[in-house]
Amino acid sequence: MFWHSFKYAFSTLIKNRALMFWTLIFPFALALMFNLAFMRLHDYDVFEPFEVAVVNDAGYDKAEIFKEAFKALSEGDERLFNTQYVSKERASELLENEEIEGFVYIADDEPHIQVKKNGSNQTVLATAVEQIMQSSQIIEDIATQKLSESPMAYLNAEQIYQNAVATVAEAEPNVKDDSRVMNMVVIEFYTLIAMSCMQGAMLSSEMIDRALPKNSHRGKRIAVAPTRKSVVVASNLLASYSILLVGVLALIAFMRFVLGVEFGANLGLICAHAAAGSLAATMLGMFLSIALKTNSGAKNIIVIIITMVGCLFAGMFGGQKGWFDSMMPFINKISPVGLITDGYYALYYYEDLGRYWMNLGGLLIISAVFLILSIRGLRRQRYDSI
Amino acid sequence: MTVSKAFWKIVLKNIGTIITYTIILVSFGTINMSSGSMTTQFEAVKPKIAVFNHDEEVGMTQNLLEYLDKNAEVQQDYAEESVKDDLFYESIVMAIDIPEGYNTDFLAGKKPELHTRTSSGYAAELAKVMLNRYLTTAQSYATLDLSADEMAEKINATLNQKVQVETLAKVDTTQFSKATRYFSFANYAILACVITIICLIMSSFNRREIRRRNLVGSVELSKMNRVLLRNSCLYSFGVWALYIIIGYFLVGGPDLMNLRGALYAANSLVFCICATTIAYLISQLVHGNNAVNAVMNIVALGSSFLCGCFVPAEYLPDFVLTFAHILPSYYYVAANDTIGGLQGLEFGDVRPVLIDMAAVAGFAVIFVIAANVVAKVKQRE
Repeated sequence: MFWHSFKYAFSTLIKNRALMFWTLIFPFALALMFNLAFMRLHDYDVFEPFEVAVVNDAGYDKAEIFKEAFKALSEGDERLFNTQYVSKERASELLENEEIEGFVYIADDEPHIQVKKNGSNQTVLATAVEQIMQSSQIIEDIATQKLSESPMAYLNAEQIYQNAVATVAEAEPNVKDDSRVMNMVVIEFYTLIAMSCMQGAMLSSEMIDRALPKNSHRGKRIAVAPTRKSVVVASNLLASYSILLVGVLALIAFMRFVLGVEFGANLGLICAHAAAGSLAATMLGMFLSIALKTNSGAKNIIVIIITMVGCLFAGMFGGQKGWFDSMMPFINKISPVGLITDGYYALYYYEDLGRYWMNLGGLLIISAVFLILSIRGLRRQRYDSI
Repeated sequence: MTVSKAFWKIVLKNIGTIITYTIILVSFGTINMSSGSMTTQFEAVKPKIAVFNHDEEVGMTQNLLEYLDKNAEVQQDYAEESVKDDLFYESIVMAIDIPEGYNTDFLAGKKPELHTRTSSGYAAELAKVMLNRYLTTAQSYATLDLSADEMAEKINATLNQKVQVETLAKVDTTQFSKATRYFSFANYAILACVITIICLIMSSFNRREIRRRNLVGSVELSKMNRVLLRNSCLYSFGVWALYIIIGYFLVGGPDLMNLRGALYAANSLVFCICATTIAYLISQLVHGNNAVNAVMNIVALGSSFLCGCFVPAEYLPDFVLTFAHILPSYYYVAANDTIGGLQGLEFGDVRPVLIDMAAVAGFAVIFVIAANVVAKVKQRE
C-alpha cells in the first residue's frame, strides 16, 4: 500500500504545474540569470589597456625619467595604456570627445593629469604617474646620497645615476601572499540552492494538506480509506522529498557543469548537504501543513517569506552575509537557508570539514525538531464526524 | 462606473502584492544603494585592513604601521579567527602579518618577509598597490647607509608626493549615484507591481463565464475595454507616484528638486506606461494567477538582471548587453545612468536621455499594437 500511495502522490505532484514551476524550473532560470549578471563581477584579472594622451611639448622633452617610464607602460602585451603623444589642444579635444580617459602634461617640472570624470581607469592613470614621480624622487635621493659620500664619485656620476635607476627597478616587495583566490559571487548560487531546497517545503505542505481530513476534502476521503495514516503521510512525504531532491541535485549539476560554479571537490558531501537541506524543507512543509489552520496559498506565502528572509540574511541580493553575521550572529545558525548556504561555503572555502559537519548537523536537528512537532500534531487525531 | 468599481475592488484585494513589492523596493533598494562593493572609484575610500604586528613598535616597524594607519582603515583589536570569513565577504580586504624582528632584520638588510592575505576586488588591489609602494620604496632606500629615522623620513617624504589631478567635471555626479541606483532598481518593482495586478484584473475580466456575462450586459465591450485601459493607466500612475514619493525620502529629495530630479521622474513615468502595455500584452497571452505570476517573475527578474538593474551594466558581459537592447528596461536603465552623469542640463546634454525615453515609448507602442493583434486573433477564434 505504501508504494501504491507513493506512486499516486508522485504523479499528483508532477502534474501540479504551478508547484513544479516554482520549485524546479524557476531556480534554473534564476541560476542562468545570476550567471549572466555576475559572471564578470569579480573578473579583475582581465585588464584592458585604455586610451590616454601625453602632451608632447618642451616640458615633456625635458622630463627624461617620466618619458622613459611612460613609454615602458605603453609598450608590449602587458601595457597599461594606449598612448597618443599630441599637443595640449588636441589632448583637450580628445578628452572632451571622450576618446581618451585622461591626459598627462608636464608643468613646472611636475606631471599633471587632466580627466573628464572620476573612475577606475582615471585612478590607474593617477597611480601610475604618482609611481613614476616617486621613483624619480628615489633615484634622485640615492644618486645624491652616493655622490655626497665621496668627492671622487662625481667622476662616475653617470654610472651612479644608472645604478640608482637599476636599484629602483630591481626593488621588489618581499611579500608572501597566502590568500586563496576566491569568488564571493558563489554565495549567490549557494543561496539559490538553499532557496530551491526551501521552496520544496511547498511540495510536502501541499501533499500533507491533501492527506489530512482537516485540510482538504480529499483528506477526508483518504481518512475513511482502510490505509493507516502513517503510511499515507510517509508515502506523501517520500514523494515530495524525492522530487525535491532530484530537482536540487539537477540544479547543482547544472550550476557545476554548465555554469561552472565552484563547489569544492567532495561530490559525496555536496550531495549529502543537498539531501539534508531538502529533508529540512520537507519537514518544515509538513509541520506548517499540520500546525497552521489556513489554506495552502497562505502556507505557500509563509514558506516564501521564510525562504526569502533567510536568503537575504544568507547573502543573496548583494552578498551582505558578513554584515548580518556580525550584527546577528545567531540568525544564520538557526535558519535552514543559512545552514545550507554556509555548508556549501565551508566545502568550497575551508580545508577543514568541521564547519561543514556543524551545518549538516544543524539541518538534521531542524529536520528532527519539525518531525517530532509534526508527529505530536498528528498523533491521536480522531474524528467523530467530519 | 461598475467596471471601474470592479477594477479597484480587485486592486484592493491584491493590495498585499503591492505592499510586498514596495517593501522589496525599499529594503533591497536601500541595501543596493548602500552597498559599496561595486564601486570602481576606489580612491574615494580607504581600504579596510587588519594588521597583526608581532614585532616591537619601533623604527621601521613603527613607520610601516603609521603608513598603513594613514593610508588604510586599520581595524583595531581584530580577532584572528574571523579573518578568513571577513576576507571572503570583503569586510576587510587585506590582513598583514608583520613578523617578529622585522625592524632589526630590515635595518640589517635581510629583506624580512611580510605575510598577507587578501580578498578579491578593487579595494584589495588598492591595498596591494599601497603596501607594495611602501615596501619597494623602503627597499630602495635600504641600499643607502641610513639610520632608521633618516630612512623613515626619506620614505615618508617620497610617498607624500601626489600628482595633481584636474577634472573637467563641473558637477560631482557621484552624489547622484544613489538616485540612479534607486531608480534603476525600481525597474523590478514597477514591472512586478504593474504586471501582476493588471494581469490579474484582466484575467478576471477575461474569464470565460465573466466575459460571457459582460458580453450580454448593458456596457459595450469597447467601452468596457476603454474603462479598463483608463483605470490601468491610473493604477500605474499611482504606483509611479508612490515610488517617486518613496524615492524622495530614500535618496535625499531636496537634492533632486530640480531638472535632474524631473528627468528621473519623467523617465520612470515613461517606463511605467511601457510596463502597463507589457501587462496588457501578457494579459492577452496568459490567463490564470499561477501563469501570470510565473510570466511576471520571468519578465521582471529577467529584464532586471540582463539590463543592469541589480548589477551595474558596466559589469555585464558584452553579449548580455547586446541582447538587452531588445528590452525596454535597457533603455530605461541607460537613461537613468545618463541622467546621473549629466554635467549640464541644457538640451544638448539631455538629448541622449530623451532618445532613450523615446525608445521606451516606442516599445510601449509596439506592445499595444501586438496586444491588439493578439486580441483580434483571439476574437476571431
